[in-house]
Amino acid sequence: MSLTDLMSHAGLAIYAEVAMVLFFIAFLGIVWWVFRPANRKRWKVDASMPLDDEHTQTPRQRED
Amino acid sequence: MDEFSYDDDIVRKFLVATFVWGLIGMLVGVLIALQLANPAFNLGLSFTSFGRLRPLHTNAVIFAFAGNAFFCGCYYSSQRLLKARMFSDTLSKIHFWGWQLIIVSAAITLPLGFTQAKEYAELEWPIDIAIAVVWVLFAINFIGTMVKRRERHLYVAIWFFVASIITVAILHIFNNLAIPAGPLKSYSIYAGVQDAFMQWWYGHNAVAFVLTTPFLGLMYYFLPKAAEAPVFSYRLSILHFWSLVFLYIWAGPHHLHYTALPEWASTVGMLFSVMLWMPSWGGMINGLLTLRGGWHKVVDDPILKFFVVGITAYGMATFEGPMLSIKSVNALAHYTDWIIAHVHIGTLGWNGFITFGMIYWLLPRLFQGQLYSKKLAELHFWIATFGILLYVVAIYSAGITQGLMWRAFDETGRLSYPDFVETVARLMPMYWMRVAGGLLYFIGMLLFGWNILMTWRNRPAVYEVPVIRAPALAKRYVEPPQAPVPGGVLARFRSMRFHRDWERMPLVFSVLVLVAVVVASLFEIIPTFLIRSNVPTIASVKPYTPLELYGRDIYIREGCFNCHSQMIRPLRYETERYGEYSKPGESVYDHPFLWGSRRIGPDLAREGGKYPNLWHVRHFANPREITAKSIMPSYAHFATNVIEWSVIQKRVEVMAMLGVPYGDAVTRAEAMARTQATEIAGDIAKSGGPTGLQDKEIVAIVAYVQRLGRDIKGTSTVSAAPVAAASVLPVATGGLK
Repeated sequence: MSLTDLMSHAGLAIYAEVAMVLFFIAFLGIVWWVFRPANRKRWKVDASMPLDDEHTQTPRQRED
Repeated sequence: MDEFSYDDDIVRKFLVATFVWGLIGMLVGVLIALQLANPAFNLGLSFTSFGRLRPLHTNAVIFAFAGNAFFCGCYYSSQRLLKARMFSDTLSKIHFWGWQLIIVSAAITLPLGFTQAKEYAELEWPIDIAIAVVWVLFAINFIGTMVKRRERHLYVAIWFFVASIITVAILHIFNNLAIPAGPLKSYSIYAGVQDAFMQWWYGHNAVAFVLTTPFLGLMYYFLPKAAEAPVFSYRLSILHFWSLVFLYIWAGPHHLHYTALPEWASTVGMLFSVMLWMPSWGGMINGLLTLRGGWHKVVDDPILKFFVVGITAYGMATFEGPMLSIKSVNALAHYTDWIIAHVHIGTLGWNGFITFGMIYWLLPRLFQGQLYSKKLAELHFWIATFGILLYVVAIYSAGITQGLMWRAFDETGRLSYPDFVETVARLMPMYWMRVAGGLLYFIGMLLFGWNILMTWRNRPAVYEVPVIRAPALAKRYVEPPQAPVPGGVLARFRSMRFHRDWERMPLVFSVLVLVAVVVASLFEIIPTFLIRSNVPTIASVKPYTPLELYGRDIYIREGCFNCHSQMIRPLRYETERYGEYSKPGESVYDHPFLWGSRRIGPDLAREGGKYPNLWHVRHFANPREITAKSIMPSYAHFATNVIEWSVIQKRVEVMAMLGVPYGDAVTRAEAMARTQATEIAGDIAKSGGPTGLQDKEIVAIVAYVQRLGRDIKGTSTVSAAPVAAASVLPVATGGLK
C-alpha cells in the first residue's frame, strides 16, 4: 500500500478544520497575553523604541 | 558600554536601487498599458510583445522596486531598533549586489522568453537558485544581527521583518521546485490542480509577505518617526501581526474559485480571506490613529501625506480583497481588470506611497543635508495621487464592464456579446485613461528622482558617522529578582515566565513563526496532494505528443497565458461561450498548469478543432486580418523560426521522469515530432496556405492549440489525430479572408 493510498483513507479533508480550531485557540492565547494588565507597562516601553535611535529602551542586564 | 556605529552606506545603496528599478519597472508598465490600448506598441518585435513584457513589469515593480525599498528601510530601522550594526558588512554587500544581479538577469531573460509560466515566479531555475542563496544570506545577516542586539525586546517591526524573511524563503523554494530540461528551461514538478494550488499558495503570499508584512514593518517604524509619536496601540500591532501570520497563508485558493480546484480548498481560502479583513483594518486604523492630535502636521508635511494616503490605500485594498474572495463576487471579477485595479490600489497606493514617504524622510538623514525641495515632494504627492485615481477609476470600470458583458444574455437566452472581441473593444477609452493615469504616476517618479539627485549633490564631503553607546551584551540574561510565584504548576504557567524566556531568544521566535506558517501550509497542501478523489482521472486524457509539447513551450515562451486562460468555469455563460467546463483530470499532465488569471483574449481551454490549421497560421501572422478589432500582437516570426529538434528528446524525457506516461515515445520523440510536423504542414499547404512550414515553429504551436480540450471529446489519440480531425470538421471559412 502506497503513501497515497494510506493518506486517501485517512480522510484528511477534515484536518483543515481541525487546524483552524487549533490556530484559533493559539490566537486566543495571544490575545490573553496581549491584554494582561501585567504587560501594560511593557507595551508602553516597547512602543517608544523607534523614537530613540541612540539609547536602548529595554537593555539586557549583565549577570554581575 | 559598547561603542558602535550604524551601517548607513548599505541603506544609501538600496535607496538608489529602489528609485532606479522603480523608474524602469513603471516605464515598462506604461509601455504595456499602451500595448493594450493600441497593439502597434508591441513594436512588431518578439521580445517587446505584451506577453513577454508583462512579467518584466510585475517582477520589476514587486521584487526590484518594492523589494529594494523593503531592504532599504529594513537595514536602516533594524540596526536602530536592535541597537547593533548589521551582523556582517560583507553579507550586506553580497545581499545588495547579488540582488541587483538577479534583477539584471531577470530583465534580460524575461524579454527573451525564458519563463516558468507561473505568475511572479517566472524566473528560470538558475536565477531561482541565486534568489534562494542571496535570500538565505540575508536571513543569516538579519538573524545574526538579532542575536548580537543590545535591546532586549524585539519591536513589532522586527517581527514583521522576520516573518517576511522566513516565509518568502519557504514560498520561493517550494513553488519553484522543478526539473531542468536545459540551461534556462525547466518543468515544474507539480501538474494541473496541484500546480495551480502551489502557485497561488505562493502567489497570494508573495503579495502578503513581499508587499504587505515588510511594508507594515516599515510603517510601524517610519510612521512614528515622521509623526514623532509612538504608534496608537502597541497591543493592536501585536494582534495585527499574529492574525496576519496565522491567516494569510491559507488565503491563496481564492485565486482559483470555480476552477477545477476542489471546492473545500476554495471555501477554506474564502473563509480565511474574509477573516483577514479584520486584522488588516486593525493595522490601518492603528496607523491612521497614530496621527491623532497631529493632523495639522499633515497639512504641511508631504511625508505624512504620503503615509496617510498609503495607509488608506492599504485599507481600501484589504477591504476589497476579502470582498473579491467571496465566490459570487469573484465569479464576476475573476479574469477581468477588476483584479488589476485591486492590485494597483495596493501597489501604487500602499507600496509606492509608503516607499516615497519613507525615502523623503530618509533623504536628509542619509545624505546629511536639507531635502532639496519640499515643494517638489508636495507636487509629487498630488500628481501621483491623481494618477492613481485616474488609473483605478478607469480600470475598475473596465473590469466591471467586461465582466457584465461576458455574462449578459439576451431575451432569447443567447449570449448578448457572443463575439469576445466586442467586450475588448468596449474597453479602449478606459485603457487610454489608464495610460494617462500611469503616465502621471511616472512623472511623479521623475520629480522624485530629481529631488533625490539634488539632495545627494548637496551631501557633505565625508559622511558623519555618529558613535552609539549601549550596554554590552550579557552572555546570559538574568531576570531581575522577582517574588516566587505562589501556588502550583498552573500558577507558575500562568505567570508566563516561559514566554519572557522565549522572547529573549530570536531563534526561538523565528522558529515559532516558521511553525505557524509551515503548519498552516501543510494542513492545506497535504490533502490537496494526497486525496485521490480531488483529481478524478479521465481515461481518455493522454500526454501531449512531442510536437505538441514543443508547441506548448512556445506558448509559454511567448507568455500567452498572460492574456488567455485555459479554465472554463462551470457557469452557464462560460459553457455557452467556450464549451464544456474544464475538469481537474484534464490537466494532470500540465507541468506547469496554464489556467491563467486574466482574459484579455478569450479562453482557449476548448480551442482545439474550432478552426482549421490555416486559420491559425493566418491569425498568428496578423490577428487583425481575421479579427479587425483584435489587440493581440502579431507572431509572424513563428513562420520563420526553425524548430530546435534536438531539444525535444530531452524535454520528453524530463516529462517522463515527472511521471507523464510517454511509454516508448520517449525513445523516438524527435522522429514522432517530425512526422506530425510534416502532416500539419501538408494540411496547411493543401488548404491553400504557405508551403515548406514543416520545420517552422508555427506547426508546433498549431499542433498544441489544436489539441487543447479535445481529449474528453474522445476524438484524440497520441498520434497526429488533431490534424486529421481539424481538416474534416465542418468549420465555416467565413473567418478567412
